[in-house]
Amino acid sequence: MPAIHDEIEPWLAAAVHDQLSPEEHVTFRAHLATCESCRALHEEELTMSKMIESTLEEAKPDLAFEQRIVSGFRKRLPYRGGLASLLVGLFRLRATQITAAAAVMLTLVQVGKVVTRENAGEREKMQGASELGIRDERDRLLRGPQDSASLANSSKATEGKASSPQSESLADSARTVAEPRTAAAPLKSEAEPLVAREQTEPAESLPAPAPEFAEERPEDGADRMTTMESSVAASIEDAPPPPAADANRKLIRNAQVELEIAKFDEAVQKITSFATGQRGYVATSSSAKQENGKLRGEVVVKVLPDTLDTFLLQLRGLGEVKNQTLGTQDVTKQYFDTDSRLNNARVMEQRLIDILKTKTGKVSDLLEVEKELGRVRQQIEQMQGELKFMDAQVQFATVTISLAEKDMNLPAAFLLKRTAHLALYSTDVEKTFAEVKTVIEGAKAQLSSSTLDRDSTGEATARLVLLIAPEEADTLIVRIKGMGRVQNYTDQTDRVAQGGTGMAENAKVERDKVELSITISRNEEEPALQTTSLRILASAVSDKVARLKENAAGAGAEIRSSSFSRDPDGQEIANLTLRVPLKNYAPLLSSFDQLGKVKDVSVQRADRRGTINEETAPADISIQVYSQPNIVSDETGLFATIRHTLGQGFSALMWSLRMIGVAIAFLAPWVVAIGLIAWVVASISRARAARRAKREVAE
Amino acid sequence: MDSIDREIYQAAIKGDRDAFEMIIRASSRTLFAIAYGVLQDRAEAEDVVQDAFVKAWKSRWRVREPEKFPAWLATIARHRARDVARSRRTAPLGGELDHALDPSIANQHEQERASDVNGRVHAALAALPEAHRVAVTLRYIDALDYATIERTLGLTNGALRGILGRALQTMRRRLQPALASLD
Repeated sequence: MPAIHDEIEPWLAAAVHDQLSPEEHVTFRAHLATCESCRALHEEELTMSKMIESTLEEAKPDLAFEQRIVSGFRKRLPYRGGLASLLVGLFRLRATQITAAAAVMLTLVQVGKVVTRENAGEREKMQGASELGIRDERDRLLRGPQDSASLANSSKATEGKASSPQSESLADSARTVAEPRTAAAPLKSEAEPLVAREQTEPAESLPAPAPEFAEERPEDGADRMTTMESSVAASIEDAPPPPAADANRKLIRNAQVELEIAKFDEAVQKITSFATGQRGYVATSSSAKQENGKLRGEVVVKVLPDTLDTFLLQLRGLGEVKNQTLGTQDVTKQYFDTDSRLNNARVMEQRLIDILKTKTGKVSDLLEVEKELGRVRQQIEQMQGELKFMDAQVQFATVTISLAEKDMNLPAAFLLKRTAHLALYSTDVEKTFAEVKTVIEGAKAQLSSSTLDRDSTGEATARLVLLIAPEEADTLIVRIKGMGRVQNYTDQTDRVAQGGTGMAENAKVERDKVELSITISRNEEEPALQTTSLRILASAVSDKVARLKENAAGAGAEIRSSSFSRDPDGQEIANLTLRVPLKNYAPLLSSFDQLGKVKDVSVQRADRRGTINEETAPADISIQVYSQPNIVSDETGLFATIRHTLGQGFSALMWSLRMIGVAIAFLAPWVVAIGLIAWVVASISRARAARRAKREVAE
Repeated sequence: MDSIDREIYQAAIKGDRDAFEMIIRASSRTLFAIAYGVLQDRAEAEDVVQDAFVKAWKSRWRVREPEKFPAWLATIARHRARDVARSRRTAPLGGELDHALDPSIANQHEQERASDVNGRVHAALAALPEAHRVAVTLRYIDALDYATIERTLGLTNGALRGILGRALQTMRRRLQPALASLD
């Protein structure tokens, strides 16, 4: 084994360290058995290894070495202390963790709201709601006294027939209702005038019982005429205790309701039953039938004011309420004014009658008195009428109900409108014109207009507009078509809804008369053999067009149409259509290359029957000459350019700023939220680790 | 390296202190052996191990592959130990200064130590090149098998065997008198 022998040292070391593989071990042993020097070395190596081992035994670290290293490490790299550790400690609590998570979510939502401006709308809504609440409150306060007054009124209205205890109790209830309101009313400035009026009203309303006294004791009339105060004083003495101020209020209540109902008649029936149920009646009723068979109408119902609300509620059951308005008109002052004027007039009447009775004075004076009496009586009647009218109005509330059946706007019918345009070529325009007219005479058709023009070149053109009965339209059109060569024919049918919009399933469809307009001309439009369309990109479009026209004229082309337009951004577009003899087509087309960049060339050739003269057959060319829109406006000059460049640069900058803002608004909440979450998670895990480490140290 | 070790190294790299402390416990003796191999001073070696772990923790993100973590730790420890050795040589202080400057004292000291077997072994060890010494200390202090030493020092099998063979050969020659006297 010379190999082992020559490099015995690694083998010796490995053997001493017991790191030889089993095979190596066998080989090594075999060598030692044969080689004495190596055996000796091995012995030496073993001894030395033991020496080294025992020597280095002292150097081996003690048992606490690892712990020392770890605690040294912890000492040198401590966990963060202070506020951070406090927070970490806090975050160790489950409750804090949950709270933090909730707070993060809330923050996220809030930030999101700020970004989307959602809360602004909400605040407005809230504000609106609170305002509404205030308005409701105000309405309630305002309406309160009126409601009670109406109650009182109704009680007064029924006083005549109903027994008094009932009416008194009603009036009482009205008063009790009214009292707290008046107490509450000064709180709202809006309500104050009303209260004031209520307080002043007794003075006005007190003269009310006066007419009875005037009638009962006409002889006292003269005395009572003197002043208002005296009459008031008298009435206070004589009259039973005046009813509550509210009870004397004259209020006219009315309501307008707009209803959409399924069936008109049914609704009217129901309304009538409701009205009679509420001791009311139907005053007027009207209805009108629409084109599409739907009914629309109006019903005016009179109900007792105190049952008005119930009645309106009942109405709601009938159909969909589209609109409802409730109105109250206070006519108290007007009523009592009229009333007192009536009293005065009656007193006057009585005095005049007295004068007549005594019959003293001249005849002319008596005549005068008669005249005066007549005037006064007329006044009295008028005022009585007014009062009666007001009473009637106050006694009953007026409800105007507008009724409309559903689907009011559905079309009643559809009309099929057919319009046809026919262009005829005829060698003898006048003859064809006459022929068409004769054809019409025999058919169910009617000529609505016809013209025959002759232009300066002697070319005649005839135009006719016909209305043909739908059933005959097709045969007639075919016949007219046969009278010349059809150059163009279009036929269009429209479905027109009548009396509404939308789709009505069972609306009938009618066919209207067919409108046919015919143009007869000799000016034959020979179809082009070749049609070319192309675009030329050029600067200075108008110049180029002028040159193009020159070229075209040189090639014997006819310019059929030309247009020029210029956009605000400086783009110029010119459209030209040319008709050129085919022989000049190619040279003309090649001349376009000098004008600018020719693009989008499309050529269409329409070969047709018959002999075609290739030389003169027309070729149509439609050309669009256009320029690029200016990036900067067409203003020229250095300063304009600088100004526009700066302006555009600035607006671009502003735009990008806005975009950055938008991006930040979108991203920032997420960045913040994710950062927070990451921080919380890190804190928690660190806290856990610290706790575990402490536990280990304790162990 | 088995998967659990791998996971622990991975976690430590990602900043898991617990995992890192586990690694400290597991590999501090190896690092100590390396440091001792370079310095042959227990207190200094322990400091080096301490420093090495702190430095390793701070720059743990440099290690991309967890497999290389032990070798990387060893390198750090070795470099740190060399730094300490260098500073000891270039900036000796106090008593050490006299000790180093006065060769007679040093020689005397050495001779005193050499008088006993331990001293001789230490002297023989000190005479070895650093790489050899480290291999020897890893073997004798940490009692590592060859495979682990290879991994720790980044050596191939043949290289380690050669190193240890030559190291022991050198030491054997140096310790010849002692060995002879023992016999």
